Amino acid sequence: MRRALPDLLWTLLLAVAVALAPTVLRALFAQASVSYLSIAANAISLAILALSWDLLARTGQLSLAHAAFYGAGAYSAAILAKVSGLPLVLGLPLAALVAALLALGLGSVTLRLKGIYFAIATLAFTEVLKAVVQELPTGLAGGSAGLNVPPLFRPHFVPGVMQRWEIAFQRNEAYFYVYGGLLVLAVVVSIVTQRTRLRAAFTAVRTNEEVAAVMGVRPARAKLLAFVLSSALVGMLGALEAMRLGSVIPDGTFAISTTVFALVTPIFGGLYTTLGPILGAGVLSAVEETLRRTFAEGYLIGYGVVLVASILFMPRGIVGLFTRLARRRSAPSASDTEEAG
Amino acid sequence: MLRVDGLQKRFGGLAAVQDLSFQVEAGEIFAIIGPNGAGKTTTLNMISGLLAPTAGRIELAGRDITEATSAERCHAGLGRAFQVVQPFPEMTVEENVMVGALYGKEGTPYAEARRRAEEALERSGLSALRAVPAEELTLLQEKRLEIARALATDPRVLLLDEVMAGLRPAEARLAVDLVREVRDRGVTVVFIEHVMPVVRDLADRVLVMDYGRPLASGSYRQVTADPRVVEAYLGRDDEEDEA
Repeated sequence: MRRALPDLLWTLLLAVAVALAPTVLRALFAQASVSYLSIAANAISLAILALSWDLLARTGQLSLAHAAFYGAGAYSAAILAKVSGLPLVLGLPLAALVAALLALGLGSVTLRLKGIYFAIATLAFTEVLKAVVQELPTGLAGGSAGLNVPPLFRPHFVPGVMQRWEIAFQRNEAYFYVYGGLLVLAVVVSIVTQRTRLRAAFTAVRTNEEVAAVMGVRPARAKLLAFVLSSALVGMLGALEAMRLGSVIPDGTFAISTTVFALVTPIFGGLYTTLGPILGAGVLSAVEETLRRTFAEGYLIGYGVVLVASILFMPRGIVGLFTRLARRRSAPSASDTEEAG
Repeated sequence: MLRVDGLQKRFGGLAAVQDLSFQVEAGEIFAIIGPNGAGKTTTLNMISGLLAPTAGRIELAGRDITEATSAERCHAGLGRAFQVVQPFPEMTVEENVMVGALYGKEGTPYAEARRRAEEALERSGLSALRAVPAEELTLLQEKRLEIARALATDPRVLLLDEVMAGLRPAEARLAVDLVREVRDRGVTVVFIEHVMPVVRDLADRVLVMDYGRPLASGSYRQVTADPRVVEAYLGRDDEEDEA
């Protein structure tokens, strides 16, 4: 409601950037743009994961169940493709629906749990869901071997008109647009919850649930809404990734690393903001890619060092660091006294 | 306006509150006093839905709210300011007040909430501090914010838990004026207080609690003349009334 214009402009800018990126990358890098698009899709995937986790964290629910909803979405799309002749793209809304319903269930049970207890319950949920998927009839979910998922896009090679690498480019370009579209959706959801009265409810519930309730906020409603929105987004991401990667498998699709990246990225970028998770995803993807190219072996150690150092030196993430610098520049004396006091 | 009937709260074997019944009329300023540990805050917590009573019944404007959630009680017209001030520290003063204004009554349009927040800020003298983060307020300002937030929910009954504690006498006088003004606008006030001159100046009626039970009730003069009340206070440490 407030400051709607800048938000609208930023969102439009993001949408335009997504729309233009493949063409620009192709013009600049030709064949190399194929892998750049793939890296960009990975970064966007991380941004969506981070934004959706942050959305939930804004109500104080520090979830370790992101891999569960990601996996539920991935398997929904995979099973839909296997058992029905429906268009594959319908796997995306189905994934959102399944993840949202699961979130409603889990969220209702964990409403009264706080902090570490909530975290453990959500972690356990991930393991239970993984086990359930593994035990489903093999004809349906493929057991521990998993399922193949047909690709969303199958570009055709046209001899004489296209070069070989252009097939891969077209494929990556198409996925890039869908990932970009999902990112824009996540950004819109994030901005809407930040700019409407929901922000007041979410922040109040996160800071002090009892006081929020005494002031008329319904904590259960706020927490469940955040849970449903967050899970629907990450469910769609899971489905999309399954289509891009071509398969789902319990151990990989319900991997704890998904949950870890979901929470590390917004913490690194700046919690409870729209920009933070996106910046975090951009920087972390770039760092990871650079390290991977420099040290083929053991690059994750370097990645870990960067994370630990950043959390030590930037407790409020990248966004917090910039906010602090900006404040110091505008009012040096005020911030000095604040720190002295 | 507010009716408490046979209220009881047990924590294990300990009865924090028992046999508590009282009634507060519309437009009244009603004080609950008593030595530390008498069960005053426990009583307020039960009224505002933060603690479930072991037994008893609570009515707000004729409606049974004993089983209602805190949010539902707020929507029904119950406002509460806490003893230990609990602003939302990451929010500005204005944002704090907006929480109450937006959610205090269901279906409040944004513009109406803005207007109510504005009014609450003005009445509690916080207009100039609206953009200040709540964590930077002084104690007096925090207490004002507690009241402003509660007022922004548009309450019919306002519960105040020791809002004068820690204030200097001059500050306490300002707070007393604020409470009176709130009442003059038709809000019923129930407050817990240790500072006796404040009770004397404000309260239409006083309920004295001791060991979780009602000990006496009546006007300030009546209860302070009651030998049982004097004994309850003098029998234990009661150095609170410094002003």
